[in-house]
Amino acid sequence: MFWKVSFKQDFGTAIRNIGSFIVFGSFAVGAFYFSNFVTAYLLENVKIGLFLFHRFIGMLLFVFFITINLGNMVVSFSTLYRSPEMSFLLSSPVSFLNIFIIKFLDNFFYSSGTLFMVGFSVLLGYGSYFDLPWHFYLVMMFGVLVPFMFLAACVAVIVLLVLMKLAAKINFRLLAAGIVLVYISQIYFYFKVSSPVHLVQEVMKYYPNVDLYFGMLDPLAIKLLPNFWVSEIMYFYVTNNFLSVVQYTSLLILSTAGLFVVALAVANGVFYSTWITSLSIKSLTVRSLELKNTFFSFGKRSWFSPQTEVLLKKELWQFLREPSQWIHFSVMMALLIVFLMSVSSLSIKLESPELKAVVYLVVFVFNIFLINSIALRFGFPMVSLEGNAYWSIRSAPISASTMYWIKFSSVMIFLVVLSIVIAWLSNIPYLYAQKVINQFPLPSSFVEPHPSIKILAYYSIIVTPIITATLVSINVGLGSVYSNFIEKNPIRIASSQGATMTFLLSVVYLVIILGVYYLPTTMMFVSASKNSVVNWSILSIVFLIITVPSFFIIGISHLLGIRSLRRDY
Amino acid sequence: MIELKILTKKFGSFVAVDDVSLSIPSGEFFGFLGPNGAGKTTTIKMMTGLFKPTSGQITINGFDVVKQPLEAKSTFGYIPDHPYLYDKLTGREFIYYMGGLYKMEKNDLKENVERVIDLLELASWVDKKTEDYSQGMRQRVTFAAAFVHKPKTVIIDEPMVGLDPRSARIVKDSLKQQAKDGASIFMSTHILEMAEELCDRIGIINKSKIIFLDTRENLHLHKIKYDGNLESVFLELTKEDKEL
Ligand SMILES: Nc1ncnc2c1ncn2[C@@H]1O[C@H](COP(=O)(O)OP(=O)(O)OP(=O)(O)O)[C@@H](O)[C@H]1O
Ligand SMILES: [Mg+2]
Repeated sequence: MFWKVSFKQDFGTAIRNIGSFIVFGSFAVGAFYFSNFVTAYLLENVKIGLFLFHRFIGMLLFVFFITINLGNMVVSFSTLYRSPEMSFLLSSPVSFLNIFIIKFLDNFFYSSGTLFMVGFSVLLGYGSYFDLPWHFYLVMMFGVLVPFMFLAACVAVIVLLVLMKLAAKINFRLLAAGIVLVYISQIYFYFKVSSPVHLVQEVMKYYPNVDLYFGMLDPLAIKLLPNFWVSEIMYFYVTNNFLSVVQYTSLLILSTAGLFVVALAVANGVFYSTWITSLSIKSLTVRSLELKNTFFSFGKRSWFSPQTEVLLKKELWQFLREPSQWIHFSVMMALLIVFLMSVSSLSIKLESPELKAVVYLVVFVFNIFLINSIALRFGFPMVSLEGNAYWSIRSAPISASTMYWIKFSSVMIFLVVLSIVIAWLSNIPYLYAQKVINQFPLPSSFVEPHPSIKILAYYSIIVTPIITATLVSINVGLGSVYSNFIEKNPIRIASSQGATMTFLLSVVYLVIILGVYYLPTTMMFVSASKNSVVNWSILSIVFLIITVPSFFIIGISHLLGIRSLRRDY
Repeated sequence: MIELKILTKKFGSFVAVDDVSLSIPSGEFFGFLGPNGAGKTTTIKMMTGLFKPTSGQITINGFDVVKQPLEAKSTFGYIPDHPYLYDKLTGREFIYYMGGLYKMEKNDLKENVERVIDLLELASWVDKKTEDYSQGMRQRVTFAAAFVHKPKTVIIDEPMVGLDPRSARIVKDSLKQQAKDGASIFMSTHILEMAEELCDRIGIINKSKIIFLDTRENLHLHKIKYDGNLESVFLELTKEDKEL
């Protein structure tokens, strides 16, 4: 066993605990003010009205639901089928169902703890804007948020169990591809059916009476989804329609209870047999690359120095031969493609430049969050994944920083390139001429975006990779500070306490960036609508405000990251 | 050549290695004995750069391990007490990987990989992933990986854990081979017969201090003092209530 040094540790642990308390605390406060501000801003400045506002909340909740759902599925897979503890538990005189329940609940609370906290802060911010009574928070936390998230977890585990059952008969790779496809089409159809753009246009026809309830605009399929129920509960709370609140809350709780029973029944039936199946898909790898003597095999020469070469090849094979790595990666890439496809063809006819700026910022933020989650999921665990074999590097004639830079650059290069592609694709509607369908008898025509808008688009394409570089640095650097060489599961590493801290820190960074970025965005849309000249000095100042601290953060992260690599091992 | 000068390692207030000084000339096979928790692994980890010494100096083949770590490290091979490998690599890949870390040129590396695979008789399973290896298989792969760059010095922490008699023979022979080729070897072990069989000189560490240091020949004189075997010498020297 490689003992961690215990002396400085006590002091270090204390500092770290205080540190994480401060970060968690300020994050909660930040989330509170942020949600309060966004609510006020959308309702008072952009004036989208209560109905649209809650429909947007509903859409966010859908994304939230899918995220929790996928997260739980992946974590459940690794704890139920992959952890060495399982074979021990299954050989103990505890019933399979009890083991399942314990593990399931453990996963749920393990992966949702932070979300509860964030959820609560957001609710506080939202509720305090509307001056809602105390029971709102109680009902929302325990009657709505917890069941909602639990529902997502139940669905996840049911899907997982069914998948594992099918895996006995169907090729696992095919199955994985299938499930990815199902999720993608789900998301695609959700946004197709709920068509936010259309909804905005319809509701805005009634301006200024936009606080009214436009339930007739909601498609039936959408009404069957739990995220819709939650947004309805919030809408009716705000409009004092308590009968509807009670109805939707009971619906939610009953469905959750029902699905939990279903999950238990399915688990009771198939958990043990699927666990046996899972043993046979143990060494699942990307076999097409496994061919002997490909360019990537260790025996082949390359243009890199021997050290760089073997380190890169080791990273590559560790990634490709670990299903929880490449499957998760493919899922994220697939989601990204769907998102980009829909965003790059987005054309919204909105009058108000503020509203246009908000739409633009939402897409911008979404891009960055996607990049951040990839950086967290794959960049953060990189150092920890050296695991117990780290002695081989530590005792070899290679400096810790060389290894660090190789790991960092491999994620960094990939993500920076990706971020440029993402920024470019999502800016297509702002860069190139858009087709406009005119009223009959005029033929449809092409309209060039206003020069200010084009400048904004290029501006974003330049800023995004800088932000990406910062996010990757934070994640790899702090991943090294919080390295855990004992845990082998990258998902657990990426959701450890250190990872949560890292995530919160990067969110703080992002919120600040967003706050700063708000300025040029509105300015450019206003300039486009009024046809006024572009204020270049503001653009350059904002650029400096973003880049200087970013480079500072990049430097600090690497300093901390490399220093931790030199700790006693 | 290995030179430890008044080497000390403290964990907080606990002194794990206390003022240890040793000098092992080139070509010597040195055995490092001592009861559990005496400080053997700690000493070895300082020698190999995994721990930073609290004070003192370590020189290996003329290079200071703390001040010139890369130069020092390129001259030795290390076999840790627990043979952890990268689960997802095969044994052969791991050996290539280690060779690469020691900056070996590809053709040279290829030859040497084949050499160590033969030396430790790994051929029949070396292309399986290491996650499927038994303890002894992992152990033999770490030996092969340590020998691949032809180190001038080999540092080994407990080589025999989990080895079957045949594997033990293979490993011992490979060590003898290294010694014959002129490498100096620093080996910690609990197996007294092995120390007697292989080592030119033996040091015993107890409660973080060196309490015995002598050649194999002189050991006989000590043995006669007791009842003629090394075990008794060891037990007597490391007795719990023994005055230091
Ligand atoms: N990272 C660490 N932090 C604190 N104490 C440690 C650490 N590593 C070792 N020690 C302590 O140092 C002492 C020496 O341990 P070491 O591992 O060197 O013993 P050893 O001689 O190798 O024993 P064994 O024969 O059991 O392998 C022990 O008391 C141990 O508890
Ligand atoms: Mg030891």
